Amino acid sequence: MTRTQVQILERIIAAIPIMLGVVICAFLFMRMIPGDPVDIMMGEAGGVTLEEIESLRAEFDLDKPIHVQLTRYLGRLVRGDMGYSIQRSRPVREIIFEAIPATIELAMFALLFALVVGIPLGIASARHQNSVIDRVGMTASFLGISMPAFWLGIIGIIVFSLRLGWFPTSGRITYGMEPAAVTGLLTLDALIAGDIQALKDALRHLALPTITLGAGVAAIVARVTRSSMLEALKTDYVLFAKAKGVPEFVIVVKHALRNALIPTVTVVGLQVGTLLGGNMIVETIFGWPGLGRVVVDAIFARDYPVVQAAVMIYAMTFVLMNLTTDIIYTYLNPKLTL
Amino acid sequence: MGSRRGYAVLRRFAALAVVCVFLVSAGVAIDHSVQAAGKTLSLIIDAQADRADEAEIIAAYLREIGVEAEVRIWEWSALRERALEGERQIWLSDWGSAYFDPFDLVIPKLATADRGNYSGYSNPELDELLTLVQMTADQEQRKEAYFNAQRIIYDDAPWIFGYMLKETEAARVEITDWQPSMDSRINLHDVGITRGDTIVVGMRADKILTLDPGAYRDRDTETVIRNIFDGLVTRTWDGEVVPEIAESWTVPSGDVYIFKIREGVKFHNGEPLDADDVVFTFRRILEDGAIAGQSSPRKGLLGPLEKVEKVDQYTVKFTLANPFPIFPQALVHFQIVPKDYIEEVGDLEFAAKPVGAGPFKFKEGRLDDQIVLERFDEYYGGSPEIPPVGAAPARQVIFRMMPEPTVRVAALKAGEVHIIQQVPPDLASALAADRNIQVKNVDGTRVYIVEMNCRKPPFDDVRVRRALNYAVDWDAILTSIYGGNGIRLASAFLPSGFGFDPSLEPYPYDPEQAKALLREAGYSVR
Repeated sequence: MTRTQVQILERIIAAIPIMLGVVICAFLFMRMIPGDPVDIMMGEAGGVTLEEIESLRAEFDLDKPIHVQLTRYLGRLVRGDMGYSIQRSRPVREIIFEAIPATIELAMFALLFALVVGIPLGIASARHQNSVIDRVGMTASFLGISMPAFWLGIIGIIVFSLRLGWFPTSGRITYGMEPAAVTGLLTLDALIAGDIQALKDALRHLALPTITLGAGVAAIVARVTRSSMLEALKTDYVLFAKAKGVPEFVIVVKHALRNALIPTVTVVGLQVGTLLGGNMIVETIFGWPGLGRVVVDAIFARDYPVVQAAVMIYAMTFVLMNLTTDIIYTYLNPKLTL
Repeated sequence: MGSRRGYAVLRRFAALAVVCVFLVSAGVAIDHSVQAAGKTLSLIIDAQADRADEAEIIAAYLREIGVEAEVRIWEWSALRERALEGERQIWLSDWGSAYFDPFDLVIPKLATADRGNYSGYSNPELDELLTLVQMTADQEQRKEAYFNAQRIIYDDAPWIFGYMLKETEAARVEITDWQPSMDSRINLHDVGITRGDTIVVGMRADKILTLDPGAYRDRDTETVIRNIFDGLVTRTWDGEVVPEIAESWTVPSGDVYIFKIREGVKFHNGEPLDADDVVFTFRRILEDGAIAGQSSPRKGLLGPLEKVEKVDQYTVKFTLANPFPIFPQALVHFQIVPKDYIEEVGDLEFAAKPVGAGPFKFKEGRLDDQIVLERFDEYYGGSPEIPPVGAAPARQVIFRMMPEPTVRVAALKAGEVHIIQQVPPDLASALAADRNIQVKNVDGTRVYIVEMNCRKPPFDDVRVRRALNYAVDWDAILTSIYGGNGIRLASAFLPSGFGFDPSLEPYPYDPEQAKALLREAGYSVR
């Protein structure tokens, strides 16, 4: 094992107590919020006897003291059992893992969109500071940050789905076109199956949610890239390269950009967490069957086991994203170590 | 709580307008007011975000008569718990009824210490009447008891009585024989399509909970389940109970029901349906821990049902602890499941690959995405009382979860879906103007009210509760916020339910009367 590999392993092991702490916090906080899962499940309708509610509460251990509930939960968790959803009468593991691929696919495309749009825009704005390109670019990024997803998404649907008919209003793929499930990411599965029609259809469904979710991140990426690029373009090594007669393109991409990207990587690393965890609004608008919707719904329903499992997954994502960001730093700037 | 985000924009404007009018008129009113002796009544009105504007308008009406009123926004479950503990003063809430009888509305909400009685209201005279209606099978006697109960509730005014809303649904013109039903069921067995053979429904729900008819409590789940499964009985769109899998039933005494099951009914796996399946279905709900180790949350919906027995292959006897005349209404909500199949594959597998005896069989799907069903060609035909009888006209139906109302409307216009639930009132008229769309309304079965904490001052004084009923102009609220789609209620009873007294008029908007009552109760008024 190389030194880096050992360090990565250490970081992953160090993440275990973090996740445990997060799970315990989630467990305690959820129980501190007023509201009872069984009562909520019974809804504001119809007749129920109080005995019935008590017996259901007992089945989910809700009548036990909180430390007993916690020990039982942790005991099951270390055996890999995430428990049973109170509201949905299904194992939590099934619910979570069913929802994750949709969320990952959307987050990946939104990230790709943000990078493909944001970085070139940032470079162009910095390269032509105070020009028309810069002003248009920065105005666009200002709009990108300011427009809330629920507004942008609905306007997108009205214009591109309803008026122009380019994209479907919602869903992940047209029924009947699903490729054989391998990864759960429909675009990837379509590629594996070599099904171009399915790929096209999945991409058409992805277009509006991707832009809606990615617009804000693209705007942030553009702004951060622009400012760090401006700084990099003023450094001595860029001046020296210019004096040497190195072509402009090479200076920008090879000398300036590589250094300017470090702040961008930091920001993107943080944004990936947001993309994975904070896309409940976009998922709701586009009927996208992802984890965000599951979690928010579970919070309102006080479906404790689902919330706890999801929070654990989010914590893991953040830990992994931080690690990835640090690894990319060392590549961009070999002087840094993990 | 129904998702009513669609009303938001309309409501916000309406609220602003009404509040502005009040600010102006209040300014005028101060000049002429005489400050009476007594303390000022000071209230915090609690509401959920989706009724925030309505709460603001109510607060404005109360300020108009000299009450200090402010609105506080809550998440429902948190508010409910505090209200139940008697810690809150006055709050907006709602309650749904499914039985076309006040049984599942008035009893849980107003019987002493019952589950939904958050206001802490208690009146022994009313309790007696509400016990009577549960114990007797004599419909005349029940009706009289309900009439008396309405008078008592009206006089005691434990709530500011509110309204019910009409549900608006829409479909494309290529959809035929479609009728929204009062119990929000979308029965696709009778619905045809003139273009193509697949009907897509845009559901208001974010998800449905399960495909196991024994393991849910919400209506959206039921909508899908009742297209896969049939019950002993069903309901016409306007609430009449008619036979479905049962051929007929008799009630030899008030507490015994004997159902004769239709012969030749098959489950989707080809197995015949008989008395064993019916008995199994109900025992699964009555017995604790009978569904994959968990108890069914539906037990309470069966009222006093105690025992279900097979008499012969096609006859089942239900024994109740006491007469329960709305038992057939309750049975509408219980769908028959296949005993042999469930015993063979287990409860979890059954929920993943459900097999029923309904008009459509499960093909594939995910609960929070879409559920795809295809026609069951060997279907026995459904209730003979709800023609057409036979296999469904549509070859395939898809229920898509589309929680965002604007998107449902857009998808309907774009032709991606054919039927949508819950059209927001502000979009209904624009949709109706579209030549490709048909829009229909149906009365809802949910009451929207303002509950008062009757355990503590000021609302332990009936004069104050009545005063507040006189102080709010509901007609203005319903017009401005809900596009005239609401119907005022005089008490806790729905017009569609059994025993509704149409002669009882809602409290009129009478601020002078409200002030007089408050003054009498010792509060200063404006």
